[in-house]
Amino acid sequence: MAKSNDFCVDLWVDERLATLEPSDLWRPDASQALQRLRQRASHPGPSTNWKWAAALATLTIVGICLVAFPAPRVFAHYCLDCSVALLQSLSSPSSIHPELAPEANRKTAPDFALQDASGQQLRLSAFRGKVVLLDFWATWCQGCATEIPWFVEFAGKYKDRGLSVIGVSLDADGWKAVKPYIAKNGVDYPIVIGDDSLANLYKVTAMPVTLLIDQQGRIAATHEGVFSKDTYSSEIEKLLATEPAPAETHTDQ
Amino acid sequence: MFVNAPTEAWTTASAGETPFDMEAIFCEQYERVARIIARVVRDHGRAEELAVEVFLKLWHNPQAQGDKTEGWLYRTAVRIGLDELRRRTRRARHESLLRFLPVPTPEELHAAKEEQQRVRLVLTVIARKHAELLVLRSNGLSYSELAATLDRNPASIGTLLNRAQQAFRKEYVTRYGKE
Repeated sequence: MAKSNDFCVDLWVDERLATLEPSDLWRPDASQALQRLRQRASHPGPSTNWKWAAALATLTIVGICLVAFPAPRVFAHYCLDCSVALLQSLSSPSSIHPELAPEANRKTAPDFALQDASGQQLRLSAFRGKVVLLDFWATWCQGCATEIPWFVEFAGKYKDRGLSVIGVSLDADGWKAVKPYIAKNGVDYPIVIGDDSLANLYKVTAMPVTLLIDQQGRIAATHEGVFSKDTYSSEIEKLLATEPAPAETHTDQ
Repeated sequence: MFVNAPTEAWTTASAGETPFDMEAIFCEQYERVARIIARVVRDHGRAEELAVEVFLKLWHNPQAQGDKTEGWLYRTAVRIGLDELRRRTRRARHESLLRFLPVPTPEELHAAKEEQQRVRLVLTVIARKHAELLVLRSNGLSYSELAATLDRNPASIGTLLNRAQQAFRKEYVTRYGKE
């Protein structure tokens, strides 16, 4: 029975497919096709070569523009920073750093001593007992430019409650680039110039990186990239609300 | 490997260890390849263009040049034809969705070979391996030729063909009902 049914399906399908049979009157023109084939075979993929050449030329022009002219370079940098900032803002910051690190898990922030703009030495461990917002930034960093005005505001707003803001610039040009910038942008909290070893110590590979350090000198939060102003202020509020523990006697590093 | 001068190219191809006469293969197989494609693609002119593409692929693929050239040609022909058919069906669907498709004239409607259109549409919907098998079978390939062309075990061709036919019928009946 099954066989008979299969046989019918076989015929039924054959009948339908037979309708696709090209007319017997149609004869493909083999000689013309052969000529076409010879022609195609004798010109190996001009379009492909052309595309590669065009792509290479475009890349070269873009490269020259970026290297030779500062404006496109700055613009490209700006676009890159904006893209990074946008991506980071799209992803919920709270999902990345849901809360401040539990106290038991916090690690002591590596100490450093660097000169500020006025030539005075600034040592991180001297800020024990205060909440410290430590910002790694650079003058060319767009994300940093977004955050710095907030930090200026925080420095004034929470100063009396025990917040200190410290900016660590990683500009290769040092004070030459940083001093005009902080003067222009009204940065009134302490700024120091960091170097690669300090950046490595804090595992800074991209900027901005902002750390919140609790009253015991331990890292309570690390934010890489631009986060919302509210995220920072709520975390600062939480840290400031924490009762400072008695001063510890151990030394860092 | 590939040189610009046409004559040199054809000569070089036949100067290998296993001589491969592209022209002879072409003359021998072109019509059949074009017919396989024409079965799937309604437009004969397009079928001829695609047949040339098949041979061009063969020319660029030394591994296909040898004992199994015939099977390779049929397989490539049916695949290239089905690809074209699927592309056209997709485009027609998008155009009709966007209402860019011109309204067919009454003559076109009358002239349209409804059954052919149905069969072609079903071939674009069923699994590619089933469509390949059915088109090649309808081109008169024997079980052993089908096995060689599709690189299958000859013993399994009957079963595969049966499945392909069932799949075709099921899809056809679902779309157009029993006739």
